Amino acid sequence: MTQLLQALLNGVMTGALIAVPAIGFSAIFAVLRYPNFAIAAYATIGAFAAWWANVVLGLPIVAALAVAFAVTGVVGVAAEETALKRLRGNGALIVAIASIALNLVLENIVRFLFGNEMRGYDLPIARDLRFGDLRVGPQQLQSLLLSVVIMAAMFLFLRYTRFGKAMRAVADNPDLARLKGIDPAKIAIVTLFLGAGLTGVGGVLIGLDTSIDPLTGYRVLLSVFAAAVLGGLGSIPGAVAGALMLGIAEELALLAVPATYRTAVGFVAILLMLTFRPRGLLGERAA
Amino acid sequence: MTQLTIDRRRLLAGTAAFAGIAGLPGLALAQQSGPIRIGTLTPLTGSGGPYGPVMVKAVKAVVDEVNAAGGVLGRKIELISEDDQTNPEAGVRAARKMIDVDKVSAILGTWASSVTTAVAPLCWESKTFLATVSGADAITQLPHQGYLIRTQPNTTLQGKKFGEFCIAEKAKRVFFVSPQTPFVKSQFDNITAAVKAAGGETGSLVYDDKKPSYRTEVDEALRFKPDAIVFGGYTPDTAVMLKDVYRAGFSGLKVAFGYSVNQKLIESVPAEVVDKTYTISPSPAEGSKAYERLVKLIGVASPDPYTTQIYDQINLVLMAIAFAGDASGTAIKDAVRKVSQAQGGTKVDNAVDGLKAIAAKQPVDYDGASGPCDFDAIGDIIDSKFRYEQVQGGKLTLVKIA
Amino acid sequence: MLSYIVFTLTLCAIYGLLALSLNLIWGGAGLVNLGLAGFFAVGAYASALATGAGAPVLLGWGAALAVGAVVGLLVTFATLRLRDDYLAIVTLGFAEVIRLVALNERWLTNGSDGISGIKAPLKAEFGTQNFALFYLGLVTLVLGLVWLLLRRLDLSPYGRALKAIREDQQLAAFAGKPVLRFKLQAFALSAAIAALAGALYAHFQSYISPDHFQPLITIYIFLAVTAGGVGRPSGAVLGAYAVVIFLEATRFMTEWVPGLQPVQLAAMREMLIGLALILVLHLKPQGILPEQIPKAPAPPASA
Repeated sequence: MTQLLQALLNGVMTGALIAVPAIGFSAIFAVLRYPNFAIAAYATIGAFAAWWANVVLGLPIVAALAVAFAVTGVVGVAAEETALKRLRGNGALIVAIASIALNLVLENIVRFLFGNEMRGYDLPIARDLRFGDLRVGPQQLQSLLLSVVIMAAMFLFLRYTRFGKAMRAVADNPDLARLKGIDPAKIAIVTLFLGAGLTGVGGVLIGLDTSIDPLTGYRVLLSVFAAAVLGGLGSIPGAVAGALMLGIAEELALLAVPATYRTAVGFVAILLMLTFRPRGLLGERAA
Repeated sequence: MTQLTIDRRRLLAGTAAFAGIAGLPGLALAQQSGPIRIGTLTPLTGSGGPYGPVMVKAVKAVVDEVNAAGGVLGRKIELISEDDQTNPEAGVRAARKMIDVDKVSAILGTWASSVTTAVAPLCWESKTFLATVSGADAITQLPHQGYLIRTQPNTTLQGKKFGEFCIAEKAKRVFFVSPQTPFVKSQFDNITAAVKAAGGETGSLVYDDKKPSYRTEVDEALRFKPDAIVFGGYTPDTAVMLKDVYRAGFSGLKVAFGYSVNQKLIESVPAEVVDKTYTISPSPAEGSKAYERLVKLIGVASPDPYTTQIYDQINLVLMAIAFAGDASGTAIKDAVRKVSQAQGGTKVDNAVDGLKAIAAKQPVDYDGASGPCDFDAIGDIIDSKFRYEQVQGGKLTLVKIA
Repeated sequence: MLSYIVFTLTLCAIYGLLALSLNLIWGGAGLVNLGLAGFFAVGAYASALATGAGAPVLLGWGAALAVGAVVGLLVTFATLRLRDDYLAIVTLGFAEVIRLVALNERWLTNGSDGISGIKAPLKAEFGTQNFALFYLGLVTLVLGLVWLLLRRLDLSPYGRALKAIREDQQLAAFAGKPVLRFKLQAFALSAAIAALAGALYAHFQSYISPDHFQPLITIYIFLAVTAGGVGRPSGAVLGAYAVVIFLEATRFMTEWVPGLQPVQLAAMREMLIGLALILVLHLKPQGILPEQIPKAPAPPASA
């Protein structure tokens, strides 16, 4: 029983790591309607930007998170404007494929500038807190809290601000939105900034628990996708729910399946979910 | 973002420039005159990326040094460095280019066992010499006709040392965590043999090396109630594993390979996560100067085992060429053991000294930075001392060589 | 030099088969298969294991075709109801699962050691040099045959029906086309071709391992098909040759860019590949050899 509970807790903590980049990915998908593979590079770039702020400039980690958000947001917008924007008319798949190529380019720009060596933040690590036989990581709780806060903030932003409403309008029907005087191009830029920026913040959280190198984002790409698909592509609360589900499914499965098959567990979870709910847990209307 | 545009523009110019040139790469001369070409095939991108670049750096440093001292056989050494992308498909393409177009005499430093196994047949078929750092035991059993040597100790040699070390440190219950590698099973078997011989118990867990956290894996390891945990992975996954082991409150003995808990890993994780961890790496006998020389040559405080190994490989190959008076792969194959382990030869620890001794018709016995570098008939090293180091205050501190 | 060219051309032909496979499913039926590396692996392992158990090489290739088709059908069944974007992600996951199985099921695949010593047909009879030429001829012949088959298919009523499905499923179903059966057939055939490419690769290199089947090769093939022209078999083949030659040509760049570390040069090589794909998509979205049949009017550029 303890084992089961502990695995559940572990799943929540692992899921929290994936949740923030999954929110970023889903936000971009919601408005621009294509799966952006370049989020792997965005997460990596965020991790490096925060490393630079934290280790080179000596800023505290909270400031480093802000730097990561801003840098990755700008990179995301610039990359979209130069490499992907003009392809949108050719369909979502072409943009998705171009984003794979974009990811390769960005990952290697990071490699070109920083090399492959591992880096780490200047941040102490805490032992887990123990409650009887169970243990939780204080830093993992902070990550979880952060992702819930980000989710709530995004949710409120989309629901109550003028810009957020415009974003949802574009997501629902770009033509209608244009008729209403909303400029989809402007919305796309803001979305990209938010989505890429959040992915960058997620990259920092992942970097805190793992290491920072040009493949930091790539290693979790499949997990982020799996989380977003489980929760329903394009849904912000879905991304968080999907990430937590994925984390829990993976950790619980470890009690029965060899640990080397963790990625496969996520894949099976997707297939099961999609068989019963083709739009994921909290997926929106059918396209 | 200007960075991107500049890079792209430069790249475009580059593309345009070499599009015209790519058609005539057949500039390689026969290997009888002109420079002697040596290739490195290390991972510069992909999962082996943390290791390859500094390996090339070590080879380059030796080549520069030897060239400054007049080259080998009066010829300059030219270094060709290709990226295997940690992928045998790409590795084979790179090797074909180096063998057929550059006509290299030897290829050094193949890292992933899969890349080495894929590239080895090309080498022996084209009579090109191959020196590798890969760990899979099966590699030296390929029908390579002598064209392959490996400087990495095999798992029998290494696993035993890990097991014995744990026992010597009074750890009776030893748990082995590792990603899926070609040597995970044999490594574990050899650890187990050593631990069981002293009345201890072992357990193991093979994990997925791309995950951002290993909490449940660590729980499983700790349920075994280990006195010691042996880490079998590479730097990125070992960093994650070490953090989760620390969080879980494990305070027993931690032992890792020298190539995974290396200086870079130590610098990139909080000090307490890795403090007191022991590392084991192949090593020359105490008193050998090769290791200190390498440290000075490349300016890296604690070069990891792959770097020490490729340093030895380039030294051996250059001396073998000088000894044979011939730069062909076959000549290197036939001469390498005559410079690595000549009976009663002058002990040398670098190619520049070795080349002088060879010119003076003295037999030489190279003792390198990774070990004595003596090879058996199938290309495995015969015996190796091991460096036992411990992380103390953020630095690797030598405990013993044995 | 000659053996390098022979080797590169052999690889071109194998990539060509992969490109034809992708072109059939993507250009033909409009389904995205990011799991190409997975089918490539399935074929390679099927043939390596069959011939390893004593089957003749031709039977091994037959096994690859059969297993590829069956796995293709399974994947299609599991993903039939999915929208394109979901399909892209699921097929990517599929390739990773195949790699994990190859990595971990040591009893079957020899795990991360991989399978070495795979039978190279008639190598003993020909000798190393002539074998390379023979195999180049053989692989090119197979590529030619598959190309002929797919070209006929492309121009046949069947091919037109497929493209109708690609353009508008509902409409095609309305017009009485059995959409489901068509999709299944196309996916199975496409998977079988990719598997055949894997088998040809396995017996060419005599060694395969899980590391061979990383997603990068799928990116290369997407580059090939986009560059050559989606929807036209000749374009896919041309694109594959262009990509392999481009990949190799980028190596010679290193000699012309002074003052960089090897890791920076390696990074530049990969950047060039990504940039090439983006540029092709921008400058020649229809590829070098655009599709031949007149396209249905494009749907409004909504998204």
